[in-house]
Parts: sequence; structure tokens; C-alpha cells
Amino acid sequence: MPSESDVSEMLKEIGLDTVDSLYSGIPGKLRKQQLDLDHHISEYELIKRAESIAGENRWNNYINFLGCGSYDRIVPASVDHIISRSEFITSYTPYQPEVSQGMLQSLFEYQSTICDLTEMDVTNSSMYDGVTGIAEAVRMAHRVNGKSKVLVPETLYDSRLAVIESYMEGLPSKIEKYRINRETGYIDLEDLASRVDNNTSCILVENPNGMGVLDPNVTKVQEIKKGALMISFTDPISLGAVKPPGSYGVDISIMEGQSLGIHQNFGGPFLGIMSFRKEYVRKSPGRIIGQTQDHNGKRAFVMTLQTREQHIRREKATSNICSNQALMALASLSYLSIIGSGGLRKLALVTINNSIKLKKALSAVSTKAVPVSGTLFSDVPVHVRKPNDLADSLRKNMIQGGVPLSLLSRELSGEFPDTFFFSVTEKTGQSDIDKFAKAIEVVL
Amino acid sequence: MSYRQASYDEPLIRDMESGTTYELPGETGDAQSAIPEELRRDELRLPGVAEYDVVRHFTRLSQMNYGVDLGFYPLGSCTMKFNPKYADAISSFESFRDSHPLSDQSLVQGNLRIMYELQEYLREISDMDAVSLQPLAGAHGEFTGILIVRKYFEKSGELDRRTEIIVPDSAHGTNPASAAMAGFDVREVPSGDDGTVDVEALRKLVTEKTAAFMITNPNTLGIFEHNIGEIASIFHEKGALLYYDGANFNAILGHTSPGLMGFDIVHFNLHKTFATPHGGGGPGSGPIAVKERLKEFLPVPLVEKSSTGYAFNYDLKSSVGKVSSFYGAFGVLLRAWAYITKNGSDGLMKNSLTAVLNTNYIRARLSGHYSIPFKKEKMHELVLSSSNTGRKALDIAKYILDSGMHPPTVYFPLIVRESMMIEPTETVSKHDLDTYCDLLISGARAGQPELEKHPVSTPVSRIDEVRAARDLKLNWRG
Repeated sequence: MPSESDVSEMLKEIGLDTVDSLYSGIPGKLRKQQLDLDHHISEYELIKRAESIAGENRWNNYINFLGCGSYDRIVPASVDHIISRSEFITSYTPYQPEVSQGMLQSLFEYQSTICDLTEMDVTNSSMYDGVTGIAEAVRMAHRVNGKSKVLVPETLYDSRLAVIESYMEGLPSKIEKYRINRETGYIDLEDLASRVDNNTSCILVENPNGMGVLDPNVTKVQEIKKGALMISFTDPISLGAVKPPGSYGVDISIMEGQSLGIHQNFGGPFLGIMSFRKEYVRKSPGRIIGQTQDHNGKRAFVMTLQTREQHIRREKATSNICSNQALMALASLSYLSIIGSGGLRKLALVTINNSIKLKKALSAVSTKAVPVSGTLFSDVPVHVRKPNDLADSLRKNMIQGGVPLSLLSRELSGEFPDTFFFSVTEKTGQSDIDKFAKAIEVVL
Repeated sequence: MSYRQASYDEPLIRDMESGTTYELPGETGDAQSAIPEELRRDELRLPGVAEYDVVRHFTRLSQMNYGVDLGFYPLGSCTMKFNPKYADAISSFESFRDSHPLSDQSLVQGNLRIMYELQEYLREISDMDAVSLQPLAGAHGEFTGILIVRKYFEKSGELDRRTEIIVPDSAHGTNPASAAMAGFDVREVPSGDDGTVDVEALRKLVTEKTAAFMITNPNTLGIFEHNIGEIASIFHEKGALLYYDGANFNAILGHTSPGLMGFDIVHFNLHKTFATPHGGGGPGSGPIAVKERLKEFLPVPLVEKSSTGYAFNYDLKSSVGKVSSFYGAFGVLLRAWAYITKNGSDGLMKNSLTAVLNTNYIRARLSGHYSIPFKKEKMHELVLSSSNTGRKALDIAKYILDSGMHPPTVYFPLIVRESMMIEPTETVSKHDLDTYCDLLISGARAGQPELEKHPVSTPVSRIDEVRAARDLKLNWRG
């Protein structure tokens, strides 16, 4: 900021007497009389105030069994370090590629790594979060085939459905739900097949789905999809041990990347990961990084296919995306690079194993506690006989968890009444599970 | 010029096999056999690199990346101001950073208080009545705002005929793109000779089909739309709504406001005006604010305060629903809260004033060297044209790269030929402003063959963007 003597020199150069006249172009009646906020404070006072407010959060003392879209997983210190590098965090979208090769190469590596993880052809350089990613995928499917029926599983959370509906406001499309099997929790393929017609634009499959179930039937949807595009929403950690979307006919793959080295941050910033078949690349939303050369033939990276984007195509753009989640993409790339294939595989298996342990701990009390038979990944649905006592018992035992199905999917909770989710990750220890079992025993 | 960016022949991480070293806890038990056979994965090929090599790889890559912490970055329309480190520090408090969005509200009162206070700050700054923090970027805020326009007319039974949204020809590309995404037809109004909206042309465009007008003020030419009061009346008389694109809020914070100008819906770019880092493209954050009569249409939930504490309110009569997973980019909201709390009313007003002063100083220093179209008085940014110099904006931009400073935005707005858009912000010294102006002047005078050699101080020379789009190579598989 210029000093006082600088200011007077600058005003002289500009040809003004006072700084106030800089605003002379604003009509007087539009001038704000007063900005009714406190005056500035020192950094020390600010930090004190922030610490005091942070102290009003009380979750820290609780054992965590919350999940359902946001997961408490290990974040290697190196990941936080890498995304805190000021050259990365304080840079803008790489409009000048020659001074931005670091971020551009990182994003190219991100796109590549995600393609390897999902076995999809192309990955863009990120979407806002998983849910807006699904919504953009639905729009993209409509651009590809012009059809209008959108099939989603009845396990899809209401909050996610609401985001998709928001994004479909300007389209002629209609959403229809298909059923899951009440015992296994798998897609009811017969029901789904009966709903697929010539006007079906896309079919969304989840794996694991909204009941927490790893669903083998997702691999059979390609046989009944007809002209529709298949969109998958998968947990990226699960792909350490579970078949990737590219292997079962998925056209657009979406994942929520928060699990990949990104802190939960009370729900954001997260990371939307979008991949698709290469024939759809020109219909796709978002920024994409490509490899090319400089004028001396040296390898270089650059934002490409920008003619799809808003700053060039304006109202004809494939999406309005400008800012994305580049730094979060870098976090997920660092994370995957640090833990490697073996690490991701272990995380997937530990998550399944902990889900099994939790289920076992419940079966000791009630064999009907978990209402679906399919293998669970992270989110474990629990049927509770005394729902009114649940919150109390959890609080007494200092446990966070028990997201009600009625909050996530109101309609489905009619089929699975008094069902609450308890979620595990690699952080969940045996002693946590023991404490959980004790807390829940009294309400099962 | 003695600047050199680091230059490594950095391999792709895939080619750096040094063996994973990071250890993870937990037992896998019989998990493998619990996976249904059809779903078992046989092969996975992630990079297998030691943690120390991963850190070295990305540290080397970071050194081939320019950021605000390295120097002046006056990218027009992007408000690349210094990102205060206290905001990063606060956002990394474990109690904030690791909190779960579905925690019982009684356990996250601190988070809710931050959100509530930020809502209140933004209300006061914009002179609007209600705020939603949910949108995750500026364009996402625009889209949410236009959904509100839709819902508003749906409720009044006028949506069938209100099919058009008007934007100025100088608008950000996101404006028409967001309007189209929400299902509206886009009409463009030309700018007049002084660079502001041609009010007479606008009058002819506004009909019973008009749903809304999207505009930023000051506009993308850095000029205050002094007719904004009259423009607001034109739309309001026809029953249409006024949308304020807050990308240029840094010009006016505390001095005027969209509420005073007559706007109905506003979005903020926290990553611009409120100094949160851009992260190489994101995350951003794009809260929106509305007038009282539109509050019922906001996305849910809002944070409210009562005698028992802070709580989410999901009960809005005609809400557009949800536009993202949870409540917004909380990690970014925290930083913006910190910036506003730290700066206070006096600091915020001074920041805007200084940004405007810096812009006009650049304008004064460069006039005579570049053509500066439209009105003389600029706000937070200015648009030059290099047409008069016989040099291309792109060539001058590449020349500046070799100075260790960042070039302006080039070729936007589209209505000025060979445009160079400069937004200095308030976080720059006069010394750096002078250096930058000298550079621009010497760039305009440099010989064409000399200009075309630049950049030479970067790890790569000029990049073949045409090849990138023609021979698509979008991942390392080819």
C-alpha cells in the first residue's frame, strides 16, 4: 500500500487534489453513508477471537461415527504442506501457461491419475464437489443424446437429488427413481430395466449406494441401458479394491474427492471428480489441461478445448464454470501419489473390514440390526428399536453418529423405518467399536 | 531484466518409481472375500513414489508456478490481492478444519457463529437483507441467483413469458452462460461511447419478456455505471429483476453498494474482494444476497441466531432447494470472515480507495503510451488497447512475463481490440506500480522481432496452444 507521500505524488500525477474525488463518478445519492462494522483490529486480537470461537465447537471430544458424504480419513502432513506452498495456493487459473507450468503439470498428472484409478478415458481438471459433478453429468448426458428421462436410485440422498433438480431447471428433463432390492440393498435390475425407454437420457448408479452397500449389479446395468448414458457415483477409496467404473460400461464417472487427503472443513471445500469417454469430450464441462510443446519442441502443458467454455462461448458454453477446485485436485493427486496403489487398496479393505466389525458388534445384540445383507463400505445402516433414546445414549457415551435415513432419503425411510447410519474409516479403532456397541446396546 | 523462474526437466510422477513409504494403520481381515466377486479389482496402477520424492516433485513444480506471494499480479477482473496469512492460520485450526458437516448443531456452534457473522457482514456491505453462503464460486452464485429469478416468476405465474435475460456486451462470460444454464434466452445490450450501458438501446430491449438484467458495477472496463439508478427503474417498472455480479466489488466496498443502486440479487466473490487464495483456479466461494421479498427463495439452510444459540433454518417457503453438498466452502468462508474482522470498516474502505487510486495512477502514467478507450475516470481496473502501438497485447504480455511480474488479462473484454485489462488492487507499492508502468511502456516501444522472442526466463518458451487442441493429449496414456 502506498505511503502518504506516495499518495500525494500519485494524486498529482492523476490530477486530483484529494483521494475522495476518486469516487466523484458515483452519484451522491448512491454514496454509502456509513459502513456499520467494527473498526480494524490487530492480528493478535483477531487470532484470539478466532480461537475463542473455535472453542465453541465441542465435537472434538467425541468419538466419530459420522460419514454419509463426508469422511474422517487420515490426511498425510505432506499433503497439507504441498497445497500450502504459496506458489500454488496464491496463483490464479493458469491463463499465462509459461509461468504456470507447475500447476498445469500437476493438473495433468491429476487428470492422468484419476483416469488410471477409474479406467476412464478423460478426466477434467475438477468440479466444485461430487454432487454438482453428478448434476453437470446429467446436463452433459442431455447434450450428448438430447433425451430427457433421468433415472436415479431411490437410495440417492434427498439433498443430492435437490442439487440435480436445481441444475435441471432449464432442461425439459424429468427425474424418475428406480428401486433397490429390500433384502440385499442391490439395484432391482428388473425394475430398472422396465423404466429404461427410448427417451432415457441417463441412468445414475451409486457404488457404494446410499444404503452403504457395495452393489455388484452396477456391472449389469450396461446390458439394459439401451441408448442411455450410464453415470456412476463411486467412493474413490473403494476403488483400491473394487472394480472401477470404466470396467463396467460407465459413460461419465463422478466421485466426491474429499476422502482423498482433503479435510472435512464442515462440508467444503470438497472436490468434484469428473471423467468420461473420449467421444464426449467436446460436450463436457469444466477446464481441461492438455500436453503440447513450446516453440522449441519442449514438452509443455496448457489449458485446452477452451472453445467449450464460458469466456469464449458465452451463452453457448457447455457450462458456466470458471473457478473450479484446482487446489483440491492437487491435494488428491499428492495424496494418491503418497499412499500409492498398496495404500489405497489397504484403505479400501480396512474400511470394509471395519464395516464388517461394526456389523458384527451389532449382531451380537440383534441379528436384525442391519437391514440389508450386501457388503457395506463405510456407512452402516442400523435399525434401532428405541429411536427416541438413541441421541441420549450416544451423547452420554460421547459418540457422534446416527444420521437418520429419514434425513437423507425421506421416502426410503418408509421402507426402512428407524434406521440410522454409523460410519467407519481406517481411523475407527476396535476400542471405538466396543464403545459404540455399548452405547447402542440399550436402544437396539 | 534479471528474473529467472526455476526450470527443471521434471518427470511425470508416474515415471518416478521409488517405492511407496507411507504407512497406514488398520487391519484388512477377510475384507477381500467379502467383496462380491463381480466387483473385485485385479489391477491398480497408481504412482509408487516415496513420500520424500512426492514432496520434492511438487516443491519443484511449485517453483515453476507464479503466485501473488512472488510478486505483482494485476490480472484484470480477478482481484489478485495479497492473501493474508492470518486467514490461512485460522482456517487450519483443527476445531474448524476437521469438523463434520452433519455434526449435531450443538457441537459446532463456533462454525455456525462464523457463518452467521459472515452473513451479517455481507448484508451490511451490500445493503441487502438476507444471505446464503452455499454457492461454491462466483459463477455458481450467478446460477443460484438466476434460479431465484426463475422461482420468483414461477411463483408469480409469469415464467412462461419472462424468457429473456439481458447482459451488457462487456459482461463476464459467466453471466450469459449462467443465464442460459438456467434456461433463459440471452440478449446483449451494447455499450455506449463512454463505455457504460447505452440506456436508450437498453430501453428498447426491455419488454414484458424480460426476466432480469445482469451487470457488474463498475463494469469490466473499470467504469462506474452512473446511470444505474435509471437502469434499475427501467427494469423495475417492467417488473423485472436486477442482478449484481459482485466480481468488481473491490472497487466500491463501503463507498456505495448494490442495495443502494437498486439491485435485487447479488453475488460476492470471496476469493476476490475478501482476499481468499485462488489456489491455481479454485476453490472459490460465491455467496449470494437478496432483498427481503426474495428471501424465501434462497437455498437452504440459512444460519440464524436465537437466545439458545445459532441454528440452521431449512424452513424457507419457496426455496430453490440446494445447489451444493452442504453449506458452502466453509474453509473459504472462514478466511473471508477473518479478513473482514481484521480490516474492519475503516480498513475495508481504505482498501477500496487505494485500489482505485492505484488504478488511476496507472491510467495517468500510461496515457499517451497506450490508447485508453472510454471515460477517463476509472475505478478498480482499467482497460488499455495496444492497437495504437502496433504491438499485439499477447506479445506485450509475454514480454512482461520475463520481468517477474504478471501480465494483465488480455483479450477481455471482447469489445476492445487488443485489450489489456489491469487490476492492481490495493496491495502493491508505488515502486512496483512504477516498475510495471515502465515495463508496459518499454514493451510498447520494443521492436516486433524482439517482442516475439519472449518469454525467455520461464521453463518453457511460448506454447503451441493450437497443437494442444488439435492433437489432444489429455493424460499420460495418450
